[in-house]
Order: sequence, then structure tokens, then C-alpha cells
Amino acid sequence: MPTETLYGAFVDATNPKAVKKLTQYKNRPFGKPYSVAVTTQKMAEKYVELNETAKNLYKTFLPGPMTIVSKGRHNVANGVESETGSLGIRIPDYKLVTDIVKKLGKPLTATSANASYKARPYKVLDILGNISEKQKKLIDLIIDSGELPHNEPSTVIDTILDASVVLRQGKIKLKGKNEVLSKSEENTQNIGKELWQKYEKYYGKRAIVFALEGPMGAGKTQFTKGLARAMGINDEVVSPTYNLEEEYDKGKLLHIDAWRMLSDSEFVELDFAKKITDKSIISIEWADKVSDEIRKYSEEAIVVWIKIIYLSRRSKTKKGGDNERLISWETI
Amino acid sequence: MGNNIKILAIDTSCDETAAAVTEKNRVLSNIIWSQASMHAKWGGVYPSLAKRAHQERIDWVINKALGTSHQSLVTDVDAIAVTVGPGLAIALEVGINYAKELSKKYNKPLITVNHVEGHLLSPLTSSNTKDQRLKTNVFPSLAFVASGSTTQLILVKKIGDYKILATTVDDALGEALDKAARMLGLGYPGGAVLEKMARLAAKRARDGSPNSYPLPIPMMGKEDRLQFSYSGLKTAMYKLVESQKPLNSDEIENLSETFQDRAFQHAEKLIKKILNKYSIRELYFGGGVSANINLRKRIRKICKQNNIKLRLPYSKKLCTDNAVMIGVAAFYKFKRNIFLKPEQTVLVERFPRAKVDEKFPWE
Repeated sequence: MPTETLYGAFVDATNPKAVKKLTQYKNRPFGKPYSVAVTTQKMAEKYVELNETAKNLYKTFLPGPMTIVSKGRHNVANGVESETGSLGIRIPDYKLVTDIVKKLGKPLTATSANASYKARPYKVLDILGNISEKQKKLIDLIIDSGELPHNEPSTVIDTILDASVVLRQGKIKLKGKNEVLSKSEENTQNIGKELWQKYEKYYGKRAIVFALEGPMGAGKTQFTKGLARAMGINDEVVSPTYNLEEEYDKGKLLHIDAWRMLSDSEFVELDFAKKITDKSIISIEWADKVSDEIRKYSEEAIVVWIKIIYLSRRSKTKKGGDNERLISWETI
Repeated sequence: MGNNIKILAIDTSCDETAAAVTEKNRVLSNIIWSQASMHAKWGGVYPSLAKRAHQERIDWVINKALGTSHQSLVTDVDAIAVTVGPGLAIALEVGINYAKELSKKYNKPLITVNHVEGHLLSPLTSSNTKDQRLKTNVFPSLAFVASGSTTQLILVKKIGDYKILATTVDDALGEALDKAARMLGLGYPGGAVLEKMARLAAKRARDGSPNSYPLPIPMMGKEDRLQFSYSGLKTAMYKLVESQKPLNSDEIENLSETFQDRAFQHAEKLIKKILNKYSIRELYFGGGVSANINLRKRIRKICKQNNIKLRLPYSKKLCTDNAVMIGVAAFYKFKRNIFLKPEQTVLVERFPRAKVDEKFPWE
């Protein structure tokens, strides 16, 4: 039947038999998830856990052509959620679909009516012309409303990564005695250099871990640049967000980034335990996301926790006030 | 075998487990196991237990690549290719060990490939045998490789002879786009969503409601340094977003457009700088960000103004990480006789910080 974006194939998402039939029709591998259509945020919350990011998106963009992926509650039939248990929710801005969902009282799968890898269906013929007799027999009802306007498919937004951040904020409290103001990237690099000079005496005796916490763009990579330069490393220090870790100067400095990590276990999986040796120097960005794991090494390693916060413009007369950050640190 | 060699290529450099079979520069199969296959068109994905995930999937992915290409056995291909860097060490290791084993077990030559060279050469991939891409390319060319982990402008003197002219000193372009999306509450990975939002804002602007936010173009006036830098723009964006919260949908779209515009203008300026300095004949554009329509348009315009040819991967599936590009890069290396015999593969090891203009120690 028609939707705001294209012709969709709909089954009761809570009915295992129906979902199996749909997978047969779509001719796609098991494990590829389906989005489901609901009518309200309240109904969505029966099937997924909504974090702040998701709630904001619901408020701002739904109903509308957007699929929002959240952690599923496993209240739909097997095969609807992804392998990792995530579920995409839609609240269509299309009365026919929402009326049926309301009447049924259950979510419908919201997937395009084409078989996998075939063209987007804007009219019924686009579907029937591209499927086998066997597939046709699986269809119970077609609602034909002519050719639909050629709208783009819905935008898919994955909010899962945000869940872990909220859970872990503010776990490490610093007393805030050691703090210094940074007004520029160079300043932040210099603080990296100074902290290296302060803790260098432990090098070769114990592992030294610089755990960095601070919002986007605060200067965590800049700090590590300064640290590396002070250590005599010539390699270019860059953000390790995608590679998760970078090694400089044949492993002299290890630079880890936990931004993309969903849980501590991903950090453990990097063989972190093996990397703690008397000679290791490690800088960890977004350390607050894996603080529990890092803390485990506070005995055998020198763990310097560094917090960077933006200062709001306190007074306009203060020079450079717009770019100020407060950097505090403490061994934990 | 001659020049029509068939290669089984493997890439496990970061999140995706990928395998492909190629013949010369032609795709026979392209298998990518990615958790984000449903949710994101390009950009990074969750690391999700990188090493174990690769180990669990690699058998399936390789068998599928062989099956789909109608070369059902490893004995049906002529060589094995594998990415040895740059990338995540523990992830790279999985593909390398597997490739070494195959090389020894089936007595096939092993070709080691740099992941960035794969992206660089991905525009030379073809979907059919009649494709003329191989015969028409001229040098020197400029390659722009932009992904979640790489942002480089590379001088291509000829295939296999490169010089990195510009690289990022902090964030990669794809990473910056993903992070901007995250700041706007658009989830992760959000680069593709950001693009869509920007498109809506651009459409509104054409209809008469232009938007303007005070975001800087990175490294303005410092283009001579030939450095990409996205950290300053990221900081400015963070502060702007915080000061404007809560955002409505128009504002989110407008901010997406402004951020993209500044990030792309920075790249345009560096490309123009290099085109003025070197006599470049063609421009290659690869990596996940090369799927972005707006950036393609901007680069196409520069190419037109400079009367040079733009080469793009023929499918968006070749922009993001894949093993086809590894097979294609390996084909060119094989032609230049750069490969290892099975008994030499013991020399091969992971190279997490490999640079595209440096040889591997065993070559």
C-alpha cells in the first residue's frame, strides 16, 4: 500500500509467521532488520528505549519521513530487530498507515514493497513487474492509489551510540586544585608538554596513562600533540577516532579514542591489559566513556585524569574569553 | 594467466569485514559485512569488538565473495591480496593471517596493499570488460582521498608512484561531518544524514530563505601550509550549537548546511592551491566522503574550470570501505611484479600507520 515515500509491504511486526512470510517475499537474508511503523512516541516506547537524542528527534521531526534507530525491547517478532538488538521506528505522516496501525493496535513493518536490490516502487507495476509468481502469491492485498510522487526514502538516524555517553557522565570527580587556563590550541599543547615533564620521572618504572575528558572540540588531540612533541616524537598526531588507536614512534606513545565505543568491552577488546607495561605511555581521549576500565589500572599505572571544560564568556572585556578552556588534572 | 589475473582481495582494516574477487580492474564480487549496512550509507560504524567480529565473519565473507563471483574455490583465483595498513592493528591482523594461510595452502602469490591506495585507485574500477578506463588515464594526476580516517591530497606521478601533498593535522573530513551530525543530535554515524539535512536547507535557500551562521572556513589565509584541519571548525560548531539550543528542524538543517559548506570550502581551497602549483591532468576522488553529492558538485566545478578530467568510483558501494579497491590496487602491483611468493609471506606484518607514498619493508 502507498506511504509518504513509496509503496510499502506491511505485516504485523509482532507476528512471527507474518514476518517470516515477509522475509520470503523480500527475498533477503535473515538478520537484515525491518523498521516498524507506530502512531505515537508512547507507542514507540513499548518497543524501544528512547534516550535524550531520540526523544529530541521525535519531538523535532516526527511524524515525517524519518526512521529513528534505538535499542529494542524485544517485543517484536524474531528477525525484525537487528542482530545487535536495535530497532528502527517510523511515525509516518500518512493517514492510511497510521489509521491501520491504530486500529490494529500493533506496529506494522515499514519496508519498501520491492524485492531486495530492486528499484524503488512508486507504482504497483514497479512491484509486480519485478517479482516472481511465487512472490506474487505471498501478497494478500494490494491497495493501489496510482503513481506516487517520487519522494526520497526516509532518513535513517541511529541514536544508539548516545546512550552510553549519558550513562557515564561525571563519574570521575576532580578536586580541582591543579588547574590552568588555556586560550589557544598552542596553550593546550603546552599543557600537554608540562604534564609530561611533571610525570616523566615515572617513565620506565610504571605505565603512564593520560586520560582525557572533555566535550567535542575541547582540545584532547591538541593536548596529545603537545605530549608527543615533549616526548620527542616527530610523527603527526591526529585524532584516532576511526582507527580507535594510533601508535607513534614505533609504539613509544599509544593514542586511543573511546568516542565510538558502545561499552567497556570494546576497550578491553583492544588488548588494553597487555598494553600496560612499565614502559608504556598512553593517551586516551573520551576516557570518561571507559572510566571503569581505566580505573582498574590505577594501582599499577600512573593514571592522570585530565578534564577540559569550556568557559562561557564571563566578561566581554576579558581578552580571548571566547576561546577559553579550563584544564584540570589529578592522578586517580 | 597473462594480464587477466583473478584476485581474491581481503580488507579488515577497521570496522567492515570485506572480501572481493576482481579480474584486472573489474568487479566480479563485492562482499561487505557491516553492521551499518542498513543504517548508514557511508562513514564509520561501531567498532563492536573489532577483532572477534572479524574472526567470526571472515570465513563467511570470503566464501560468499568466491561464490558470487562464480570462482567457487580459492584454486580458481590467481592471487590473494590483503590490506596491511593503515588501520586498526588487531583488525588488520585478522585479514593478514587469513591471507597468508590461503597463500601457503593454495600456493598463490600474495599482494600486500595500502588501504589508502585502494581508495585512490577505486575510480579506476569498472563493472564490465569493455570499460576503457584503463587505457585513457594520463598523468600526473591529483587524488583526493577523504573518509572517516583519511583526508589527503596525493600527487599521482603514475600508478604506484605517489607523493602526499596535504594531509589532516587533526580530524579527518568524514570524522568531522559525523561529529557535527552528532552535535546536532542526528545520531551516529551521521555524515549521510547531515548531507540530507543540508540539502533541505539549500533547497529552502533557493526558495528565498537563505541562512547564515558565523562559522569559519578552516585555515583561511594559511592555504600555503597545505594542511587540512577540522578541529577549529568543530570547536566553533560546538559553541554555536550550545548557544542556539534548543534547535528546531529548520535550524538543524541550516546548521548542517553551514557546517558542510565551511568544511568543503576548506578542501576546495587546498585543491585549487595544488592545481595552481602543479600541472595536473586528472583528478581522482575516492573514500567514503566522495559519495557526498554536494562535494562532488564542487569538485566537478573546479575540474571544469581547470579543464581536467574528474574520476569517481562508478558506484557508491566503492566509495566506502570495500575489498574491490584492494583487488584493483593489487592488480596494478602484480603487473609491476610486486608480490610475494608463499614462502616469503612470513615477512608480512600489519602496518597500522602505513603511508601511501612509502613502500612496505618487504617490497
